[in-house]
Amino acid sequence: MRRAITTRLVSLILVVLALTFAVFLVQTLLPADPVRAFFGRNASPELIAQKQAELGYDQPIFQQYFGFLGRVASGDLGNSLQTRRPVTSDLANFLPATFELALVAAILAGLGGLVLGVSAQFGSAGPPILRTLAVTLSSAPSFLLGILGILFFYRRLDWLPAGGRSSIDDPPDITGFFLLDSILSLDPSALWDGILHLIMPATILAVGPAVAIGRTLRATLASTLETDHIRSVRAMGVSERRIITRHGLRNSVGPVLSVAGLQVGLLIAGAVVVEVVFSWPGVGLYLSQAIRVSDFPAVVGVVLVLAITYVLVNAIVDILQLAADPRQRT
Amino acid sequence: MTVPDMTVPEIVARVRDLTVQFEVAEGTIHALRGVDLDLRRGEIVALVGESGSGKSVLGATLLGLPPSSRRTRVDGEVTVAGVDMLTGEQQRKRLTRRHLLGAVWQDPLSSMNPTMRLGDQLRERGLDEVRSTSLLGEVGVDEPARRLRQWPHQLSGGQRQRAMIAMALGADGRLPAEAAESTVSIDDVHGAPMLVIADEPTTALDVSVQAQVLLLFDRLRRDHGCAVLLVTHDLGVAASIADRIVVLYAGQVCEDGAAADVLETPKHPYTKALLAARLSAVDDAGVRSIPGAAPNPLERLDGCSFAPRCASAQQDCRDSVPTLERSDGRSLACHHPHSAVVEVALSTRLPRNEPSDEVVLELRNVEKTFALPGWGRNRMTAVADVSMTVHAGESIAIVGESGCGKTTLLRMACGLLAPDHGTVHRSTTTPPQLVYQDAGGSLTPWLSVGRQIEERLAVVGVARRDRPERAAELLERVGLDPRAGRSRPTTLSGGQRQRAAIARALASAPKVLVCDEPVSALDASLAVRVLDLIDELRAELGLAVLLVTHDLAAARYLSDQVRVMYLGRFVESAATDNLFSDPVHPYTRGLLAASPTIEPGRLAPTLKGEPPAAAETVVGCAFASRCSEVEPPCLEEPQTLRPLPVSNRSVACRVQFRDRRPPSA
Repeated sequence: MRRAITTRLVSLILVVLALTFAVFLVQTLLPADPVRAFFGRNASPELIAQKQAELGYDQPIFQQYFGFLGRVASGDLGNSLQTRRPVTSDLANFLPATFELALVAAILAGLGGLVLGVSAQFGSAGPPILRTLAVTLSSAPSFLLGILGILFFYRRLDWLPAGGRSSIDDPPDITGFFLLDSILSLDPSALWDGILHLIMPATILAVGPAVAIGRTLRATLASTLETDHIRSVRAMGVSERRIITRHGLRNSVGPVLSVAGLQVGLLIAGAVVVEVVFSWPGVGLYLSQAIRVSDFPAVVGVVLVLAITYVLVNAIVDILQLAADPRQRT
Repeated sequence: MTVPDMTVPEIVARVRDLTVQFEVAEGTIHALRGVDLDLRRGEIVALVGESGSGKSVLGATLLGLPPSSRRTRVDGEVTVAGVDMLTGEQQRKRLTRRHLLGAVWQDPLSSMNPTMRLGDQLRERGLDEVRSTSLLGEVGVDEPARRLRQWPHQLSGGQRQRAMIAMALGADGRLPAEAAESTVSIDDVHGAPMLVIADEPTTALDVSVQAQVLLLFDRLRRDHGCAVLLVTHDLGVAASIADRIVVLYAGQVCEDGAAADVLETPKHPYTKALLAARLSAVDDAGVRSIPGAAPNPLERLDGCSFAPRCASAQQDCRDSVPTLERSDGRSLACHHPHSAVVEVALSTRLPRNEPSDEVVLELRNVEKTFALPGWGRNRMTAVADVSMTVHAGESIAIVGESGCGKTTLLRMACGLLAPDHGTVHRSTTTPPQLVYQDAGGSLTPWLSVGRQIEERLAVVGVARRDRPERAAELLERVGLDPRAGRSRPTTLSGGQRQRAAIARALASAPKVLVCDEPVSALDASLAVRVLDLIDELRAELGLAVLLVTHDLAAARYLSDQVRVMYLGRFVESAATDNLFSDPVHPYTRGLLAASPTIEPGRLAPTLKGEPPAAAETVVGCAFASRCSEVEPPCLEEPQTLRPLPVSNRSVACRVQFRDRRPPSA
């Protein structure tokens, strides 16, 4: 168990190194020059050269890279060329919004996957319709769903807000997670407001992962229910419902966790698009603006955080898998 | 072998004209073709048949769990305690299973929920901790209270099967009023199931543990009065504890009678053939294989299902299906029971070759240890200090129970694994070729058999244009139609697949053929024929055969020499005839005594316990913990194989040297 955790941590570091290096490589290969972009077309070559030297952009790529690594290690991601604030403080502003969205979407994806996966075993007419609907939704690109959702639920029905995280001027802000903060400050109207804002983006983000998780769960559960140990409990006269909930699901969790881990990782990446459509003030929105103006420190910072999150999520999944299967624990 | 209480036995389960069919792409599989069966209280009925005879389907149907598929058709009548297990209400069938029935399956590991502690699994049966502990104790699980908190994989094979039996026994025998349908009295069996269905409960167990578990079934029946349906392919298992034997062939009952009658005076030609085809570890009587193959389950039967293989079949046997006739407490489905004779070739060992001096394989003091999972640097010793010389044309059997290191040893012999210490010397660069237990799994499923043989021929440099012809020769050599070369392995039968695997092994013209449990997945009648083929190849090609098996009967049948292995070491080494006529090591004697025979009611004496876990460090004799002759020095002095005077063998047991020391010494 401990060895598995150590392995995950080492691989986490390696993945982060590889990813940051890839981002650096892209930076040198791109024609866009961040310093030129920052000062504009009319800046003199001398000024640009001086600024490049100042920021270290004239050094060989490896040197730049190692310098960057050293700064990252001390918690310095540089200053955003666009907001002119430290990238770390920008991230601190934008990350909670993204994490809140992703977390709610992940929970929706898990619940949706569970319903889609298990419902097939109870064979009523509902599940196939539900499944067709979910597959249809998950095959549409999320920006399209976002736009359609806004047109229908906001323009037409006016049930849900069109975007943003809150309609309150001064929402409670303690941790940056609005739902949590409204609960902490005992403010039900802020909580309801936060939920209304989350419904559309979180659902759209969750649909694809829910279908993937549901499909895996359905297949795994079906084959688990054919195994010898399920036959044993059937022969003991255990009810079919209990067989599924107590024996089937528990033994189907392995493959489902793998898929869920990958999907939740992808979901964080998918948040970028959804945040743009819904003007959700998270790192996705920040990243899209940073890319537009070649704001490299910001891009690198966001990529770093997203990559670490992705690898962490999968490491947690691996450890959960060990926990789920007593045979692997030894 | 009867229940002490001789009141009129009441029928707990009743099967009438049961037919089970599955629709598959190729047509309709007739799994059961009209079966009648009554099970009485306190009675152990052995349902005997070869694979595909429908015996497991019958067991599952009694539980109200016929193979589930939309395309399964079940007709007839199955009642347990008056509850209709075919067309009854789901809830009623479920409550019957819960309160009246118990089930034990072949593989106790896969039959237990791997992610649930034993105690929780027992609780699924409705047993509280007190009852669970006492049941586990009753079935002979040691430290029952501690076991409740363990996972299935932490138990040994024997403990797992005992735990499964405890779960089966957990039924309380009280059918709730809402489920009861008839007036069948069940008062007497309160506190225990009315019927236990045990489907090959000992097939996955070692022979010593098998004997212990069979004894347990016998005791449970006596103590609780529950009926047991023992589904088995092994007449020896049936003979040891069954009161009644029901022989199933091609989905029909062909004979049904008291165990002693069926075994001593079999009437149906198939029963006779099955008895004659049984390999025995205990006597050296000739074995007769059954010619032909079981009928295709896809075909409808117009006559007796056994007629195509029956020596005394007449025209009416082919024209009309015999009905099961009852007389003198026996049932028989045969048109000509009195003329039936078994006239099939008696298989005999081929003449021994002149002892050859050519050493083809030599292992000297080989040793192999493996790291154990976990944090420490613990290692387990799989093979310790084993030496063996194999001559051309010789066949040597290595016998031992699971986990004794025999597979590790043969992997080293084949060069698939390097020993940590010691040397492996082979006379040629062609490595020994392996034949596995599961031929289906060792052949590539998407390549034709011919292609697979040609691939091997290519490796040894046979020119491309010669390969098809050589492959056809090899297939003929192992008794297959050369046209079988165009078939994929899945379209062949089990016996044909094993032959194809042997043909492929022969492609590189090896000096040594290593067979790892080559027949343990095959039915008795096929097993003999495959062993005969291996013997033939040995005699004609001068091949050395290394047979690795837990099956003493197969070892006795095929080998010249036997090495008995226990916990990584050889404990006895002797010529086959010497070893079986006069086993010396207490372990060898225990194994032989535990091997089932067809003597009715002979409950095999058991070796106590199970082999210690390989991880344990054993000082002194590894067998000491189970030995009936153990003396204090045995626990301290490690035992190595030494020649035993005047008995033509080597043995690793100090007690035998003391006992057998010649008077002069």
